[in-house]
Amino acid sequence: MKPLAMNKLLIGLFLATDLFATQALALDLGKMLEDAAKDKVEEIKNGGETPPAATPESATSAPASTTSAATPEAAPATAQPEFNWKNPSKEEEIALGREITGSLLGAAPLVKDEALQNYVNQVGRWVANQCERADLPWKFGVIESSDINAFAAPGGYVLITKGLYQKLQNEAQLAGVLGHEIAHVVKKHQLKVLQKQQLLNIGAGKLSDLLGKDDKLAKKVIGSGAEISARSLDKTAEFEADRMGMVLATRAGYDAYGLPDVLQTIGQTNKSDNSVALLFKTHPHPDERLTKLGDSAGSKFDNIKSGKTLENRFYKLN
Amino acid sequence: MKIYLRKILLIGLASPILALSGEIGTALKADTLRAEPFADAKTVGSLNKNDSVDILNKKGAWLKVKTKRTTGWVRILSVKRGSASSSSNAKGVLDVASGRAGTGQVVSTTGIRGLSAEDLKSAKFNEDEMKKLESHTLSPSEGQKFASAGGLTATKMAYLKGTK
Repeated sequence: MKPLAMNKLLIGLFLATDLFATQALALDLGKMLEDAAKDKVEEIKNGGETPPAATPESATSAPASTTSAATPEAAPATAQPEFNWKNPSKEEEIALGREITGSLLGAAPLVKDEALQNYVNQVGRWVANQCERADLPWKFGVIESSDINAFAAPGGYVLITKGLYQKLQNEAQLAGVLGHEIAHVVKKHQLKVLQKQQLLNIGAGKLSDLLGKDDKLAKKVIGSGAEISARSLDKTAEFEADRMGMVLATRAGYDAYGLPDVLQTIGQTNKSDNSVALLFKTHPHPDERLTKLGDSAGSKFDNIKSGKTLENRFYKLN
Repeated sequence: MKIYLRKILLIGLASPILALSGEIGTALKADTLRAEPFADAKTVGSLNKNDSVDILNKKGAWLKVKTKRTTGWVRILSVKRGSASSSSNAKGVLDVASGRAGTGQVVSTTGIRGLSAEDLKSAKFNEDEMKKLESHTLSPSEGQKFASAGGLTATKMAYLKGTK
């Protein structure tokens, strides 16, 4: 019976049986697992050049009985160190973020404007200096998309769409948006989603040998990495990133209200506008975010000396 | 015909005069109106959630607003700018121009495109673009230098606590 076989395979691949109970939820998780499993089936059918997921070393963290389904192919001769999902190292986090971000760039390349890319890196780097993870090799980019959105990936990768960039009016607003994304990385919001779902258990033990290498195997590890960016984080994670983003921009010397300004602008964008479809699908409505920010901010900014907006220095895109 | 009418409507709405005249706001929550833009200024009235206001002025973290009953200063985060019906009109026109309006799908071939969940799902890793992204990486001290050039100085501030 096909569905049964599929399930068995899934269990072997993901070692996360409790996930199946969530298949009916709004997230496309069930579908994603299914797709991933199909890919895996294809790979096995084709006698794929990569070892299947549940090789002995990656199985050590799971009950042995769940791994039998997916190990018809030969295990690699040399044992690879596992990707430590419980507590990934900084290097592992960066390698993971690189995969996700590289896929995003596959969907939408960088805007071909060196001065622009350098500018967002300058602003982003300075805001990131104010956070607890200033040691990460922070990377920022503007991508060629008319959508209004921004993305963060583990390890310090932040992308903002051209559509959102063009809505900005000054450097403080850019700092606020980047601050929000930096906060996601600092709090490891995306990483926690991945950990929780154990989605990446396909070949979990295989990521660490990819560090610093260009290796197709990486794709097997996380599938289409960009997909994580299309999924929603917890609402509380978004509110937390708003609070932190506002503070990070303030710490950097910018006007505190850059991020709220942008939320105001986004809030005035018609919901039916395609450019905000994904953003509105994956984030609480801007009105709710502003209200929450206001509740938390209270009088906290009253004694902060007024920050700069630097609209004159803001790099304008035509 | 429907599409044609929509085009006309969108172009009509895109008038910049409309967008700039007397900004309207809506109260996101109940709050106090004060005589001056300070937390300890005299109370002159109050806002109820969803009250419509005219935004008269802005000063730091405060907006001067006019309600049906009174005029006063309120915290900027208590007011949503624009009314419920306002929307990104310019964007709408662009959508029409590029053939994107009303389809829910990207149909244009103009180069600039949307980024749907579907796009992200089918995306393939792009090593060249990744290398470009990496080539712009800056050090903390380069960030500091950029900040100094703009007269930015770091300020200490604790993160905000969440609310229920």
